[in-house]
Amino acid sequence: MSVSALSRPSFSRRALLILLSVLLIALVVGMEQLAPLFRALFPDQDPAMYERESFLNLTLAHLALVLVSSLISVSVGVAAGLFVTRPAGREFEPLVSTLAAIGQTFPPAAVLAIVVPVAGFGFIPTLVALVLYGLLPVVQNTVAGLGTVPSQTLEAARGNGMSAWQILWRIELPLAMRVIIAGVRVSVIINIGTATIGSTVGAKTLGTPIIAGLVGNNLPYVIQGAILVGLLAIVTDLAFERLERRFSFGESGAMA
Amino acid sequence: MIELQGLTKRYGETSVVDDISLTVEQGEFCVLIGPSGCGKSTTLKMINRLIAHSEGKILVGGEDITTLPPERLRRRIGYAIQSIGLFPHWRVADNIATVPKLLKWPSSRIAERVDELLALFQLDDEGLHDKYPHQLSGGQAQRVGVARALAADPDVLLMDEPFGAVDPLTRDTLQAELARVHRQTGKTIVFVTHDMDEALRLASRVALLNAGQLVQYDRPAELLVAPANDFVRDFIGRADLGLKLLSRRRVEEYCRPAQRTRNNAIASAPTTWQVDANDRPMALLGGRLGESETARTVVNPEWTATPEMSMKEALSRMVWFRVTALPVLDGEGRLLGEVTMSGVMGHRS
Repeated sequence: MSVSALSRPSFSRRALLILLSVLLIALVVGMEQLAPLFRALFPDQDPAMYERESFLNLTLAHLALVLVSSLISVSVGVAAGLFVTRPAGREFEPLVSTLAAIGQTFPPAAVLAIVVPVAGFGFIPTLVALVLYGLLPVVQNTVAGLGTVPSQTLEAARGNGMSAWQILWRIELPLAMRVIIAGVRVSVIINIGTATIGSTVGAKTLGTPIIAGLVGNNLPYVIQGAILVGLLAIVTDLAFERLERRFSFGESGAMA
Repeated sequence: MIELQGLTKRYGETSVVDDISLTVEQGEFCVLIGPSGCGKSTTLKMINRLIAHSEGKILVGGEDITTLPPERLRRRIGYAIQSIGLFPHWRVADNIATVPKLLKWPSSRIAERVDELLALFQLDDEGLHDKYPHQLSGGQAQRVGVARALAADPDVLLMDEPFGAVDPLTRDTLQAELARVHRQTGKTIVFVTHDMDEALRLASRVALLNAGQLVQYDRPAELLVAPANDFVRDFIGRADLGLKLLSRRRVEEYCRPAQRTRNNAIASAPTTWQVDANDRPMALLGGRLGESETARTVVNPEWTATPEMSMKEALSRMVWFRVTALPVLDGEGRLLGEVTMSGVMGHRS
């Protein structure tokens, strides 16, 4: 992060987000137009442009995978985080935290190796790996976010006659939302990167050209896939940053 | 209005509140006070069932509180705590509207009520309606907290050290304001504090607790004049018991007719006030410590008293300006009478 970006965060970050989004869309749609460029840069490589599948299709497939896995991670993760912060589920907190931590310690490649014999090749094993991998940040941040709600605020809510359900929806979740979204952000960003290895077991993702390039010793393929994955991750990250800022209520988290 | 009958709270073997019985009448300002861990906050929170009691009974408005669902009970009882209890993601107006919204009042009635309360706490001209809690000063946030507690017009208001986190000056203003709001609304208030001055200033009755037991429940003057035992005397502060007593008394109770003169003539009284044509005191003749009886001291606004002033403050002014008498002035600055050093000793009721 450059100094100028720090000093005027909202303006320059917004410009950056727009710029990179345009670049991403242009590359997704028009990567094939760059074939002459790649041929000039890699004259010995033939073909110098990945053409077995359009980059638009690869990107959409990649996004679908990340979207589905993130939806599952977020719903399961937030639900688990809520459960262990309610009086009824408090004793399960260590167990859930440990399980989520194991999910992330386990390398996705190892998950693929285990799931493929059971579920076959393609979309499903990759999805399982991504869900497990993305769970921890969501659970952790849900628990942490709910923990930042001051106890006096909760007491005031109770004292003013809110039911447990009303306290959760009107007070706890809105106040924890910024931290929860930060967890979702980490989870989604990890999944965008990790989804590429799904191509080793036959899932269609932006990792497909990368794996093909690595296997066939074709550097242009690797670059074409990697650029799109990288841009996709950065754009998503910037978008989440904006979303997070929407849920910061002055100094609510840092009030002395 | 509120009746505690043999109220007890036990955690395991230890009782934090032990067999407390007291009655708070309609319109009373009852202050629960005592050292840390005496059970005053626990007692308060049992009244709106934030803490469940182990034994005994609590009646609010003649009804046993356990017959109502806790949420319904709490919506009928105002509850104010330190300012951090405001909801940080809601604007001032939304914070105040908390209970009316829970009670599903129509929005026009809610808006009306919010404006009414902002006016009552003199917050209306500061454009605070749409501000968020972190944009408020400590005093403003506290006022909003009390306004929120009053929003649904409850008969009973519970306050748990509401002014604990504000500076002494703001605290003073807030206390005066709360006293005014209490007079204006006639609410029954139960107020927890550990500050004896605050208790003596606000309370119509003080319940002094120690180690979970009720030591004395009395009017503040009674507490000062007839403390039940040594603990009460110690807690009030032996050293300035007398001053505390004077802080409860107002100048008008001590005010005596003043001797007047239009020129420099000394009358028979030890203190004589030289007044102008409008009966405004210009100078005190005599009455200055260590000086002759004819000494003339020009009256300055700082050493005058008003009927509403506390006797503690009047005494303090006498000491500071080294005079044995202060003129008591009405709103127009006319001489109503005088309070004197020897008069301070004379009165006891």
